[in-house]
Amino acid sequence: MSEATTDGAAAPGPGRPLTAGLRRPRTHLRLAGALLLLALPFYLDRFWLQAGLFAMAAAIGAIGLNLLTGSTGQLSMGHAFFLAVGAYGYCVLAGESSTQNGHALSGLGLPTWLAAVLAVLLAGAAGGLFSPIAGRLRGAYLGIATLALIFIGQHVLFNAGSLTGGFNGRPVPPFSLFGFTFDDTETVVAAVPFHSFEKLWYAALPALAVSAYFARGVLRGRPGRALNAIRDHRIAAGVTGVPVARYRAGVFVLSSMYAGLAGVLLALVFQRTVPEYFGMVLSLEYLAMIVIGGLGSVAGAVVGAAFVSLLPQVLTHYSDSLPLVSAPGTGGVAPGEASRYLYGAAVVAVVLFLPGGLTRPKKPGENR
Amino acid sequence: MTGAPAALAVRDVTVRFAGLTALDAVSFTVEPGSVHAVIGPNGAGKSTTFNVLSGVYRATSGSVRLGTTELTGLAPHRIAALGVARTFQNLALPPHATVAESLMLGRHRLTRAGFVAAGLRLPSAAREARLHRDRVREIAGFIGLGEELEKPAGTLPYGTQKLVELGRALCMEPQVLLLDEPVAGMTSDERRRVAAVVADVRDGLGISVVLVEHDMGVVMRLADAVTVLDFGRRIAGGTPAEVQNDPAVVQAYLGTDA
Repeated sequence: MSEATTDGAAAPGPGRPLTAGLRRPRTHLRLAGALLLLALPFYLDRFWLQAGLFAMAAAIGAIGLNLLTGSTGQLSMGHAFFLAVGAYGYCVLAGESSTQNGHALSGLGLPTWLAAVLAVLLAGAAGGLFSPIAGRLRGAYLGIATLALIFIGQHVLFNAGSLTGGFNGRPVPPFSLFGFTFDDTETVVAAVPFHSFEKLWYAALPALAVSAYFARGVLRGRPGRALNAIRDHRIAAGVTGVPVARYRAGVFVLSSMYAGLAGVLLALVFQRTVPEYFGMVLSLEYLAMIVIGGLGSVAGAVVGAAFVSLLPQVLTHYSDSLPLVSAPGTGGVAPGEASRYLYGAAVVAVVLFLPGGLTRPKKPGENR
Repeated sequence: MTGAPAALAVRDVTVRFAGLTALDAVSFTVEPGSVHAVIGPNGAGKSTTFNVLSGVYRATSGSVRLGTTELTGLAPHRIAALGVARTFQNLALPPHATVAESLMLGRHRLTRAGFVAAGLRLPSAAREARLHRDRVREIAGFIGLGEELEKPAGTLPYGTQKLVELGRALCMEPQVLLLDEPVAGMTSDERRRVAAVVADVRDGLGISVVLVEHDMGVVMRLADAVTVLDFGRRIAGGTPAEVQNDPAVVQAYLGTDA
């Protein structure tokens, strides 16, 4: 009798057939998470939807930067440049030629889905142009070289008026796919009025899912091993047969394409692209995301992006109810200010106490 | 993999760094399927020799040929593609990656899957990965690492980690294996284990092995031929027995007028 019970307890042994995946709590969690994300537009107001959309776009960009910086050890300060290429590329490719405030804006008027695809490819091509440099420089040296991209980018964005609209920026044509337009016209779904943010949610979510899926495949496969080898021991990677320069260049192009897609999404959420957004601070924010979330993993990039893009907004949103803040202009700490202090403190706390990032609570060196 | 094994011929290789001559017209030949030891006191130029052979350093003059192929001037990954694999004196293993992942890196030159195939998980990439994981398991079994495949390399004892690095080099299916101090810092048990693996590699797989090693016991037991370097020059060469009795070698190790 006792034998029978022990047999029963031992049955789900160490063997891991495919069906076992369905019974793992992790799979359930993921499924629940996906359903929750899909249902959110029915419940959230405009503020939260916008914050969520920013976070998703940022997550895509951060995944790209994490491939380059976290997984390959190549620092880039120029990520904002490629975001700008994606955002403005989409506007130019999809927009119609028009006149605005006396400026002539040129546009190709392509179908918006095609413009989005081409904008991503354009960002990749821009990365490709830079890749002879990206292939030769390593680590922090690349970081310094990519600073140049920010300066060039800012100069072009402010001065190539017919393409970028100068410092006023240019309007972003709403995205449409299969005759469905993700614009501000009201569509009622299940008694919930859908505006642009609700609709864009269902464009951004699959974009993020596909981006994450692809990056994870890259990281777990042959290219990921090569990239990690370049990061961990460049010389050993070379003598083990990894063409170091080619992989550095390749991952730079890939990371630029992720930035391009993030740029397209950001533009669609903003509905207007403005040049000063794509400056150095944006590049630094993306670096903060991957460091805070966890270097070298897709989950780290996504969590870090959510942290960096949501926390300031959340803090600002609720800053009135924070203790010890006073109304603006009365001499105390204003709510906006308080939220910035808290955000700064949170960033320092994470880096100090979770050096591996939010997704890796154990110290490096410990068994994962 | 590439047909008949080829000899590795080093001819008059000189390496200079600014004013310093690290290697001065060094020549030796590694016969196919033999263990060739390169020995010498610290600073003799052994590691420099390895760095030239694997393409990490470029020789100032001279030539290195594998069969009829000139290796000097080639990038490290091209030399690796010709079947030259090496290990490092100080470990070059990522501590967090599992042993299996580290060994799979050795399969890099024999596999094809690129960014797109891996990102989209194309069936071709999956098939390739499966095939090569099987071979990695085989090689791990061959060197006695079958049990450690799923462990992170950093959790293993030092000697085992060095063995993993040797395994990674073997996973490249090399013609020539360059081992930089493979038994340094090991316990005597681990030394015996590595020596047995090296002998198996030569006898069982017909791979030529170039060995830099300070442990004379291991060198004398394993090597078919020995080249002795001192201050960047080749001062002696021959069978282990010949070298042991060479007065120049004794002088280099024990000093003049001792």
